[in-house]
Amino acid sequence: MIEVHVIDVPEFQAMVDTMRAKTAVTITGPVKGYWTISAPDELTFDRKAMKMKPAVWYGIFTGGLNGEIAHWGRDEVRVVGTNRAL
Amino acid sequence: MTEKLATRDDASSAKSFNEAMGIGTGDLAGVRHAVDDGIQLALHGVDHTARPTWKLNETVEFYRDVLGLPLVHAITARGWGPPGHHDFLHFFFDAGKGATIAFFYYIGSERPEKYTPEGHHFYFATHTAWAVDSEEELASWKETLEKRGIQVSPYTRHEILESIYFTDPNGYPVEITRRLRETQEIDEVDARLTMQAAMEVESEARAASRLMDDIDAVWRRKAKLVDIYKKEDAK
Repeated sequence: MIEVHVIDVPEFQAMVDTMRAKTAVTITGPVKGYWTISAPDELTFDRKAMKMKPAVWYGIFTGGLNGEIAHWGRDEVRVVGTNRAL
Repeated sequence: MTEKLATRDDASSAKSFNEAMGIGTGDLAGVRHAVDDGIQLALHGVDHTARPTWKLNETVEFYRDVLGLPLVHAITARGWGPPGHHDFLHFFFDAGKGATIAFFYYIGSERPEKYTPEGHHFYFATHTAWAVDSEEELASWKETLEKRGIQVSPYTRHEILESIYFTDPNGYPVEITRRLRETQEIDEVDARLTMQAAMEVESEARAASRLMDDIDAVWRRKAKLVDIYKKEDAK
């Protein structure tokens, strides 16, 4: 299970909003200031869809990432599940 | 307050440069924390920043004449106590709200090699960001300086700041920034958890005599800390 925690502040809100329509993605929160996006196998974030500036994009997992970054690009990042220790 | 004005020690009584400047070892072993004595110290903004210059004319021309910041104070001195200290000028440009941008010009010195500006993020990390109050003001700085012939960076939106950058004739980076929003309680909570995660990962790496691998390790540890934080009893 992948979990991405997102701080409930304006600059990261699009991470939550663009995940709402996706099947197999669960969004909970905000709980004590954090949204949590979870998915069983894979999560893909699209920078342009989120209208996110690069300086914020490069820090999108600053809220916490339980997962492995399988692809890291300027416009797309793909996360897969991991067994690595947190 | 325990010191009386008349008996306070004065830098002129210092026996060495290190003593005069309060240069310590950096070792925190045995150093007490604020929570131990319960005294809450506070700062109230910037008085001045200071950097050395070996380009006196260009520095004054840039800050006073190109940027248009008033030259508000200048100190001249023949040495400064410790042997080997150059005669110098120390001059200050108004940066708003009582703050100033200051320079030292050491007479008869040439710039040592290690002070040569570098096109590297390590070098650019040492900078000061000067505040403006609005988007209009930030745009005015960028457009006006460009029209005056200064190379200015594109706008960069960080999480809570929007900034432009340029360099002065010394090669020092200057940042002009505006706050996009005020920080909230969650920003403080998040900063605490982020730094706790990073400090834990750094301690573990150091104990294993290696460097931290990547930010991913911090993000994973942060996920664990946020999980715990969310489950703690609500305040």
